[in-house]
Amino acid sequence: MRQAVILAAGEGQRLRPFTVNRPKVMLSIAGKPILQYVIKALAQKGIRDVVLVVGYHKEQVLDYFGSGELFGVDLKYVTQERQLGTAHALAQAKGAIKDNFLVLPGDNLIIGETIDRFDTIEPEAVLVKKVDNPMRYGVVKVQRGTVSEIIEKPEEPVSNLVSTGIYAFSRAVFDFVEPHLDLPDVANRMISGGQEIRAVETEGTWLDAVYPWDILSLNAAILQQARASSAGTIEAGVSIKGQVSIGDGTVIRSNSYIAGPVVIGDGCDIGPGVCIFPATSIGSNVVVAPFTEIKNSVIGSDVSIGPGSIIEDSVIDNSCDIKGQFSACRGQEEIAVNHERHNVNFGAMLGEGCVLGNSVVAQPGVIVGNYSQIRSLKLINGRLPDRSLVL
Amino acid sequence: MCGIVGYIGERQAKPILLNCLARLEYRGYDSCGIAVAGGKLQVHKDAIRVGALQEKLPSHVEGKIGIGHTRWATHGGPSKINAHPHCDCTGRITVVHNGIIYNFQQLRQQLAKEGHNFASETDTEVIPHLIEKYFAGDLEDAVVKTLAEVEGSYAIAVLMDGRPELVVARKDSPLIIGIGDGENFIASDVPAVLDYTSRVVYLEDDDIAVVRKEDFQVKRKGKVVDRQSHQVTWNVEDAQKGGYEHFMLKEIHEQPKVIRDTIRGHLTAGQAISDEDIFAEGDGREIIILACGTSYHAALVGKYILEQQFKVPVRTEIASEFGFTGQSSAQSRAVVITQSGETADALKAIKKLRSEGCPVTVITNVVGSSATRLADRVICTQAGPEISVAATKSYTAQLMALYWLALPLARIDLRRKDRLITEMRQLPGKVQRILDDEGKIAQHAAQIATYDHAFFIGRGINYPVALEGALKLKEISYIHAEGYPAGELKHGPFALLSSEAPVVAIVAPDNAYDAMLTSIKEVKARNSPVLALVEEGDEVVEEVADSVIAVPKVEPLFSPVINTVVLQLLAYYAAKERGCPIDFPRNLAKSVTVE
Repeated sequence: MRQAVILAAGEGQRLRPFTVNRPKVMLSIAGKPILQYVIKALAQKGIRDVVLVVGYHKEQVLDYFGSGELFGVDLKYVTQERQLGTAHALAQAKGAIKDNFLVLPGDNLIIGETIDRFDTIEPEAVLVKKVDNPMRYGVVKVQRGTVSEIIEKPEEPVSNLVSTGIYAFSRAVFDFVEPHLDLPDVANRMISGGQEIRAVETEGTWLDAVYPWDILSLNAAILQQARASSAGTIEAGVSIKGQVSIGDGTVIRSNSYIAGPVVIGDGCDIGPGVCIFPATSIGSNVVVAPFTEIKNSVIGSDVSIGPGSIIEDSVIDNSCDIKGQFSACRGQEEIAVNHERHNVNFGAMLGEGCVLGNSVVAQPGVIVGNYSQIRSLKLINGRLPDRSLVL
Repeated sequence: MCGIVGYIGERQAKPILLNCLARLEYRGYDSCGIAVAGGKLQVHKDAIRVGALQEKLPSHVEGKIGIGHTRWATHGGPSKINAHPHCDCTGRITVVHNGIIYNFQQLRQQLAKEGHNFASETDTEVIPHLIEKYFAGDLEDAVVKTLAEVEGSYAIAVLMDGRPELVVARKDSPLIIGIGDGENFIASDVPAVLDYTSRVVYLEDDDIAVVRKEDFQVKRKGKVVDRQSHQVTWNVEDAQKGGYEHFMLKEIHEQPKVIRDTIRGHLTAGQAISDEDIFAEGDGREIIILACGTSYHAALVGKYILEQQFKVPVRTEIASEFGFTGQSSAQSRAVVITQSGETADALKAIKKLRSEGCPVTVITNVVGSSATRLADRVICTQAGPEISVAATKSYTAQLMALYWLALPLARIDLRRKDRLITEMRQLPGKVQRILDDEGKIAQHAAQIATYDHAFFIGRGINYPVALEGALKLKEISYIHAEGYPAGELKHGPFALLSSEAPVVAIVAPDNAYDAMLTSIKEVKARNSPVLALVEEGDEVVEEVADSVIAVPKVEPLFSPVINTVVLQLLAYYAAKERGCPIDFPRNLAKSVTVE
């Protein structure tokens, strides 16, 4: 297989507020967008001719990946102006496809091993994986290695084998593609039309973020592969244990304690006396003031965290400005997303550009919309829409 | 202002020359041409863009050595005859040239008397004829003798039929050698060769080099000199459009990263001590900031930062005027801002300043450029190569450099300094917020695009922003636009206000706020539609203006960064609406290396 199409146009509506200004593929996991893992997997398999179908907030993808040069691939962009299903997204790439090709969802995190052997398979085929919660996905009915049906989000799954959304197709697939269809529909149509689709099972990493708090589990899973490196300045009296990666121009000040796996970006100013525990990712240009503790969290870029804060199992998106004594401890909470109830265990989810005064306490399970402002000494809980003002 | 390229090696020269030229089009694009030597020397040129030349070229242009040129006309209008390369009478010697030969009239008369026939109106053509005159078996020797007669600025590459070498030389015009494996490249600028190599040698004034397939030798005043090669950290990625329709929009979008990269390592909480404290010795004494074009607008913002906030007297000068009016002394301190580091007027100003004993700091985006070699100190902005003729990210990077240069000077209390640094770190996120919402700006731009005139007004630190907003709009959308300090409107421009001339007002919540409000009301009374840039949450201006663009809250000192990004997008989408060639506006070139 020489070519691949990555579907990167989707919004990821259930991941709001983190997908209000970016497509789901650009969610940052262990310091890199999900899409970068997919592209890296392809590059490792020598597939360098990659067509990216972009749409929702496509500039974010363009700004980061450019021509693909820095990522070892040659990227072509096609735009899906309206999000009319994954089959429609694939149809946008038709003109750029020469021969057999892979289709991959850009918002599921994979590594090179995930597509071992699948990268050289003869079409048509779908990559499947055993999961614990098949009702979230497309369950694949397999008979003698061949798919007989893909059933989307069944209430009573017939097996725990689900589609990874990764297919190997020939150009024949375009005969079955119509707007408003998703790829499983197309596969089912091909099967009823007599086309054989083989099911190939993978043991490799395949991770999906559906809800905001899934970012934490993906981050923890991927950080296990982090490798220690440092391009920054480490002052005297700093303890660094395990796999800790520190970016260019970052300063770690005296008496800070960092236990990996931890990834810290470029140009950050951390400490003195800051504790960072596994499994934490911190973006670029971030300030963490003295005596703050961060664990199991994802911190975006351009974030400022004041002194004496406690941040556990939390996601803090880009450009948040948090004054001192912020408290976000994890805990059990039942919350609703699109009328579904979920039992969760995390600290706080803060959207982009939030401004928090001193001594704000976040109740476990709080989700704060982008650009919200919270005054000092406030207790926040539940779900706050974008641009909330807590006085 | 032109771009020159050359290739010598084992591959076919034609596609390489065309690719290199395409990457130099920002230096000029009214005509182009190549010369390739295979069995026979062939010259193809016309008054067209590189892409069109590529389509026109016959397929049999073969040869492994060649030169090329993309032109921005100075002497002689754009035409096929005036396009480079130029030849001697025999058609065996061809030359490409960037620069100006001042004494070409005398040389041309002299050569014509001696029987040479001239085909074009260009100054360049005297060079191949002089080489022909002096050639006696050694091409390098003939070039040396030729250049001894020539007065002016030049970067030239000479190709002679049947000789396995290119002879190149520079004086006051940029030229680099790209070092390959068994092949070498010549170019006016680094991006041209990045597809093939990242190792380059920057030639210096009066260098003459003979470049062969395997090696090259540089001589200066007859003596062999050693020129170190540099590893370029830019990559081709930076010079490609990466999915965007125009370089300009791509470069606007790079600004959050550019800000992060430019301030990285210079800001640490609680202290603002920069290693580059260039003003330490000149504390309290006059500072002169010189620049041209967009960089001059950065200089004007620099004046406000240093003077208004930090109580240091500052004089700004347009570099091209400095030669006529400028005075400096050993007591002055000068900062020269030039994106390319090759702007001829800026280079001349640096030389003048140095001759007067005034130490010069250069803020530039190009490592190893001519300006960096002339200056006492150099500050490199981290904007990466800028291809679009309209400067965007390089300007923002210049502003960031000025901010962190100024902070150590600040005669303000440490608490305020600390606050400013915290604010500065938040700028990338605020710029990103503007980009995330650019659809709204595009709607306002569609309105602006329906007019033929526009005015931009601002006061205080946002006065230079008004100038820059007007410059961006006029250079890419061809809408006639003027920037004014709001208080100056009454002194003339009022006569032009009407319902046919919208006014873009830049309002920040600073000490100029009330005055701006008054100006907007005055403008409204003359029926001009008013579009105001205001801080989000400002309801007062919203009531007075016809429409507003709300920008993120920011310390007024940094408002030029935020507001300029909005105006860049306004200009971009207005130009797009009008169907203009945004990256290559008519009559303009990226860096102006002629006076």
